[in-house]
Amino acid sequence: MRYRTLQQTTFAILLSAVLFACTSPKESHSDSTPQQKIGVLLVNHGSHSPTWRKALTDLDSVVRGRIMEDGTIQDVKTAFMEYTEPSIATRMRQFDSAGYTDVIIVPIFLTVSSHSFDDIPTIIGQKEDPQSMETLKIENIERYQAKAKTHITPLLDFTNILQKNVLRRYKNLVPSDSNIGLALIAYGDAGYNTEWSALMDSVGQYVARNTNMTHYSYNWCGHIAHYNPDSTTIAINQVLEREEKSAVIPVLVAHDEMFQVKIIGNGINKVSNYEQRVLYKPDAILPDPNIEDWVVNIVEEFKANINTSESSVAHEEIN
Amino acid sequence: MKKSTKKAIRKLNRFTHRDLGYFFCALIVIYCISGIALNHVDDWNPDFIITKSEIDISDQFPVSNPTPADIMSISQQVGESSYKVYDKPTANQVKIYYNNATLHINGYTHTAVYEEVKRRPVTYQANVLHRNSLKGWKWVSDIFAVLLITLSVTGLFILKGKKGLRGRGKWLVTAGLLLPILAWLIFELI
Repeated sequence: MRYRTLQQTTFAILLSAVLFACTSPKESHSDSTPQQKIGVLLVNHGSHSPTWRKALTDLDSVVRGRIMEDGTIQDVKTAFMEYTEPSIATRMRQFDSAGYTDVIIVPIFLTVSSHSFDDIPTIIGQKEDPQSMETLKIENIERYQAKAKTHITPLLDFTNILQKNVLRRYKNLVPSDSNIGLALIAYGDAGYNTEWSALMDSVGQYVARNTNMTHYSYNWCGHIAHYNPDSTTIAINQVLEREEKSAVIPVLVAHDEMFQVKIIGNGINKVSNYEQRVLYKPDAILPDPNIEDWVVNIVEEFKANINTSESSVAHEEIN
Repeated sequence: MKKSTKKAIRKLNRFTHRDLGYFFCALIVIYCISGIALNHVDDWNPDFIITKSEIDISDQFPVSNPTPADIMSISQQVGESSYKVYDKPTANQVKIYYNNATLHINGYTHTAVYEEVKRRPVTYQANVLHRNSLKGWKWVSDIFAVLLITLSVTGLFILKGKKGLRGRGKWLVTAGLLLPILAWLIFELI
């Protein structure tokens, strides 16, 4: 009886050893090649205005379901570059803690600026722009180099979404068949003035081609214009020199009381006889189904290429 | 109120004013320097000294598709022996990043801007506090603000008589109050 028990015990030990031997390589194999886990981070400039931030979190809510539909993308988050949490660093840390291997970063920015080209890559550790690093430090914006690979998508000006967006808003604002002029007011960027001007020209010309509008102008309301309403007044007056009336369209991502009401609104108030001559609605680019589609499509494109692409768009020195 | 209580309150007021004045002397000066610096933020950069120098770029420089050798060669023109990364903001521009500088090449104008960044002494450090760049400093500055109000209010009751609040003091306090009232009026009228 005792001999039989000993035999059974020996058999059990041997069986366990065989099973262990069979399962071990599989486990070590899965350790060496962790499963790919892809997340999406929608990055925007950020604002003190809750209305502004809500427009961006609404965009997140609308696109999330479509982006995560096939299960390849496992989470979509939104980060604010400045002013409020969740910051980019906070979100990237969350992706890291959850074991994400790749994060597709979609900057919700109109065109090239120091924010999109230098600040965001510096925050996530893709670049070390000296001016960005110093500015981020004094503005208390945390930098965080994620373990996950980061892939930054192109900006909104990559397509003609902005042109379509402004055309729709112009048509909603002015009576059909009228030839009311157009003043475009955008944030602007001192370092990339040529690109911002080209974008505004392209938007103005697109509206002109698709309506009876013949004269447009543009100016800035951001840091480059010292947040001064006078730039808005100048743009409107340029149109009013040639046209009886001018429509004013804010080319801003979302509604911020400081911009659409205080800066642009005060700029309009300085135009003589503005009640009769200026048409204005303090709206913004968002919400726009085309932008939602663009976010979904650009993520789709990057998702497909993610295995072959490298984390950085910049070219590193090899030495 | 008893005369002795009044005397004790006056004494406490005097001590409070004196000691808060000593304690916050440095912070008041720092915040004032930073205040002046930030008042003129549109006219200068109170945080950084940004040195820019422009160089001409040869028409032959391949802005649309530079090789690492091209980048190295142009970096040497601005005295840089190595670079960290380079990137293209647009099809006709290249930006090269160094340790404490950048070189932004513009293919439209065939020029490049070499930019160095240094912290501006004194105002940078003052602004770190004024902007609450240090995490948690806002609580210190809140306490500072409350105690600054205390310092101001206790100052009203330092002297008695003709030179105190009941004498010339009341006229000077009123005159000081007129300044913000005038500013608000001008703001509303313009």
